[in-house]
Amino acid sequence: MIQELDTDGVPTLLAPTGGPMRAGLTFRVGTADETLARHGITHLLEHLVLAPLGTADYHFNGATAPVFTTFHMQGSEQDIATFLTAVCANLSELPTGRLGVEKDILRTEWSSQGGAATDDIALWRYGARDFGLSSYPEWGLDRLTAEDLREWAARWFTRENAVLWIAGDRVPEGLRLALPSGTRQPVPAASSALPSTPAYFVNGSRAVVLDAVVRRRTAASVFADVLERELFRALRQDAGLSYTTNTGYEPRGDGQATLRAIADALAEKQDAVLGGFIDVLAKLRVGRIEQGDLDAALARRVEMLAVTEIDAARLPECAFNLLTGEPNLSIDEHRAALKTVTLAELHEVAQEVCASALLMVPDGTRADWAGFTAAPTSSDSVAAGTTYYSRDGDGQLRVGPEGVSYVGDGAPLTVGYADCAVMLAWPDGARQLIGPDAIVLHIEPTLFDLHPAAMKVIDTGVPADRQVAMPPRDPESIPQPRAVREIREYLARPKRAGWEVLLMVLSGLATLTIGGFTLLLTLAMFIEPSTEGETWMWGVVAVGWLLTVILALPIVLLRRGRRR
Amino acid sequence: MPAPLPPPDFAATAAYPQVRAGLAALTAGDWPALRALVDAQEPHGRTFLVDQVGDAPDAGDFLRGVHAGQPEDPLAGALLGAHLIRAGWRIRTAERAANVSREQFAQFFDHLRRAEQVLIDVTARHPEEISAWTQRVTSARGLEVGQAEARRRYDRLAAHEPHHLPAQTQLLQQFCPKWSGTWERAHAFARECAETAPAGAPNAVLVIEAYLEHALDHGNMAAAGEFLRAQRARDEIHDAARRSIWHPEFRHGWSWVSVRSTFALAFCLMHEWTAAAQQFAALGDFGDTWFFDYLGDGAKEFQRFRDRAYAKGGRP
Repeated sequence: MIQELDTDGVPTLLAPTGGPMRAGLTFRVGTADETLARHGITHLLEHLVLAPLGTADYHFNGATAPVFTTFHMQGSEQDIATFLTAVCANLSELPTGRLGVEKDILRTEWSSQGGAATDDIALWRYGARDFGLSSYPEWGLDRLTAEDLREWAARWFTRENAVLWIAGDRVPEGLRLALPSGTRQPVPAASSALPSTPAYFVNGSRAVVLDAVVRRRTAASVFADVLERELFRALRQDAGLSYTTNTGYEPRGDGQATLRAIADALAEKQDAVLGGFIDVLAKLRVGRIEQGDLDAALARRVEMLAVTEIDAARLPECAFNLLTGEPNLSIDEHRAALKTVTLAELHEVAQEVCASALLMVPDGTRADWAGFTAAPTSSDSVAAGTTYYSRDGDGQLRVGPEGVSYVGDGAPLTVGYADCAVMLAWPDGARQLIGPDAIVLHIEPTLFDLHPAAMKVIDTGVPADRQVAMPPRDPESIPQPRAVREIREYLARPKRAGWEVLLMVLSGLATLTIGGFTLLLTLAMFIEPSTEGETWMWGVVAVGWLLTVILALPIVLLRRGRRR
Repeated sequence: MPAPLPPPDFAATAAYPQVRAGLAALTAGDWPALRALVDAQEPHGRTFLVDQVGDAPDAGDFLRGVHAGQPEDPLAGALLGAHLIRAGWRIRTAERAANVSREQFAQFFDHLRRAEQVLIDVTARHPEEISAWTQRVTSARGLEVGQAEARRRYDRLAAHEPHHLPAQTQLLQQFCPKWSGTWERAHAFARECAETAPAGAPNAVLVIEAYLEHALDHGNMAAAGEFLRAQRARDEIHDAARRSIWHPEFRHGWSWVSVRSTFALAFCLMHEWTAAAQQFAALGDFGDTWFFDYLGDGAKEFQRFRDRAYAKGGRP
C-alpha cells in the first residue's frame, strides 16, 4: 500500500521498507521545458542546490530528466530530514557562489559522456526544442546568470509542482519543505520534426533502432516485451545477425509513451539486420503475434509485481504519475489490467508503433523500400536576400533580413532568425545556426566571398538571447579556401638553412671565376696555337676544368638533397 | 546439305501447358481458375507460374483488382509483386547500370518499392509462401538492399524449401560482381546448391550459370571459351552435368528447358560438340534463350549454336 500524505503542502507518497529509509523530492520540470539557447539550466540548478550539501559520504544525488528533476537520498531519518530541508532552503535561497565551477563541471560531464547509439533520435523526431533537447549539448550554460537561475527556481521548484516520496515508516521528524508557492506545470506539448511517419534516418552506428510513440497503456508496455522476444528470435536465434536485441517502454508524461527497440549488427550484416527488423515489425503489424510471447511477457510482469517491497520500488514512478496527472494503480489493479491484455490489443499497439515509427538505420542502408520516408535533412524554402558565392565550390549563401540559406549541390538549408533555436558564435567569425526543425546551417566566413556587413546582418537578425559565444578555435582548425591554403602551403614549405645558401653562393662564385678563367685560357690556346715550350699550359687548362667541376659540386649535391 | 531445321518454340507456353492455362485464366479474368491451377503445383511450379503470369505486360489491372479484393491472399500478393517487379525491370531494361537513364531508374525503383511493400505483407502473413520470398530475393537485388539482406531472404525461404531453384538462380545473380558480389561467392553458392540437391535434381545448373556469367564477363567468345575449357572449370561443369542432366533420375520437370539450354551453350563454348548436340536433341522443339541473349539476338544465337553442334557433334 502506498499512503498519500501532505508535507508542508507538498503531496507525499509513503510506502514501507525493511531496509534503510529512502526519500526523494521530485519536481515537474526537466530539459523538455528548456529552450536550446538555455539548455542546461535545470541541470545546473540541480548541481548548485546539491553542491553545498557536503561530501560524498552521504548517499544523495540529483537527476534531471526530460520532464522531471529529482533530489534523492538514502540514510537515517535524521539525515534525510536534514538533506531535504537543506535542498528546499537552497532552492528558495539559491547559493550561486559556485556558479562558474559548476558550469565547468557540467561541461566536463558532457564531454566525458560516451555517446550512445540512440542519442540523436530525439532531435530527429522532435527537432531542436522540448523533447528533442536531450540530444544536444548544454549550450545554454555559458550565458546563464545567477538571476536566470533564481527565476527558474521560482517558476518551477514550487510546492504545487513537487511530490515527496518516502520509502520508510513515516515522514521524517523535523523535515521542513519550505518551498515557494506556484502552480503545477503541465508537461510541454511534444513538437515534431517529421512531416510524415513511418520515417527513417541514417546514422553511423552499427545498429538499427526503432523509436515509436504510442498511447500509454498496459498493453503497450507488454508489447515492448513481445517485440523484444520476436527480435531476439528472428535476429539472434534464427539468423545469428545480432548480439544485442533490446526494447524499452517509457511514459512521456503526456498520456503517450516512447517505445524503443535496438538491434546491433556486425559490419557486414547491417543490411540483413535492418531487413530482419523490418520483417519482425511487419509480422506484428499484420497481427501474427504469438500467444506464447504474450503469456511469457505477462508472466514476467506479474513476477515483477510480486517482488517484496514493490510499493517502495515504484515510488519514483508514482511520483511521476502524480506530477503529470496520470492515475496511479494499486498492485491489484495492475494485475487486473495485465489479465485483460489480449492479442487483439497487442495488434492495435503494433499498428500504432508502425504508423509512428522513426527508424535509425546504419550507414549505407535506407528504408524507403519498406515504406519509410526519409526524415528531412534540408529545408523547403530559401531565404530571400543577397547571394554570396563560395570561394571554392559552387555553393551560395543567401543572407536576407528574415533568415539565411545555404544552397549547394543538395537541397537548401534555411534558418530564419526569428525562430532560430540557437546561434553558436566563434570569435573568428564562424556561425552555426540551428533551426527549430534541427536543420544546421554552419557558416565559415573564410569560405565565402562575403561582404563584412553580411555577417552583421545575421548577428543582428538572430535575437541576442539565442546567441551563444563559443571558445576560440585553434587557427589550424579554421577552414580556408583553396587559394589561401595554397599560399600558406607555399609559405610553410621547408626552407633552406643559411649555411647551405652561403655555401651555394660561394661555390657559385668560385665556379664562375675559375671556370671563366679556364674557359678564356682554353679559347686562347686554340686561337693561338702554342709553341713547343708552352705545352705545360695544357696542363693548366686541365687542372682549371677539374677545379671548376669540384667547386660546382656543392651546388649540385645540395640541390639533389633538397629534391629527395 | 540437309534442309535447315525449323526454329524451336522459345515460349514457356509451348513447353509448359500449365503456363498456357495460367495465361488463359488471366486473359479470361478468371481468378478462381488461376488460383486453383497455381495451388495445384508443387513449390517450383508455383513460383514458375507466378513468374510467368506476373510477366504478362497487361496483367496489372486484373492483379491489382484481385489483390485489393483479397489483401490477405498470399497468391494475389505474390502475383502483384511479381508483376510490378517485371514491369519495373522492363522499364530499366537489362542493360548495365551505366546505360540506364536517371528517369528509367526512378521508375524502376518506384515499381520495386511498390512490389516490395506488397510482398513484405505477404511474407509477414504467410512466411511459408515460397513464391513471394523468391520475388523478394529478386527485388532485393533491384533495390540494392545489400548482399546480406538478399541472403537473409533466401535463408527464410530455404528454411521451408531448401532446394528452390528459381530463388537460387536469383540469389546467384545477386552474388555476381555486376550486382556487387564476388566470383568466389557466386561459385561457392552454386557449388553449395549443386552438392546439397537430391540426385538428378536440376539445381546443379547453377554451377553452369556461375561459369557462364564469369566466362561471358570476359567480353569475347574466344576468351569465354578458353576460360570454360580450363581444367578446373571443365571438371566442375562435368560434375554438375553428372548430378543433373546426365543423371538417370533427371526429369523434364519445371525449368528443364532452361536447364538443358544453359548446359548446351556451355558445352558449345567448350567445343564439346557431342555433349552440346545431345542437349539440343533432348530439347527437341523447345529452347530457352536466356544465356544466348548475352551474345546478341538470343533466338538466332541459339539456332546458330545448335546448327554448329549438330554439324560438329553429329545429330543423335
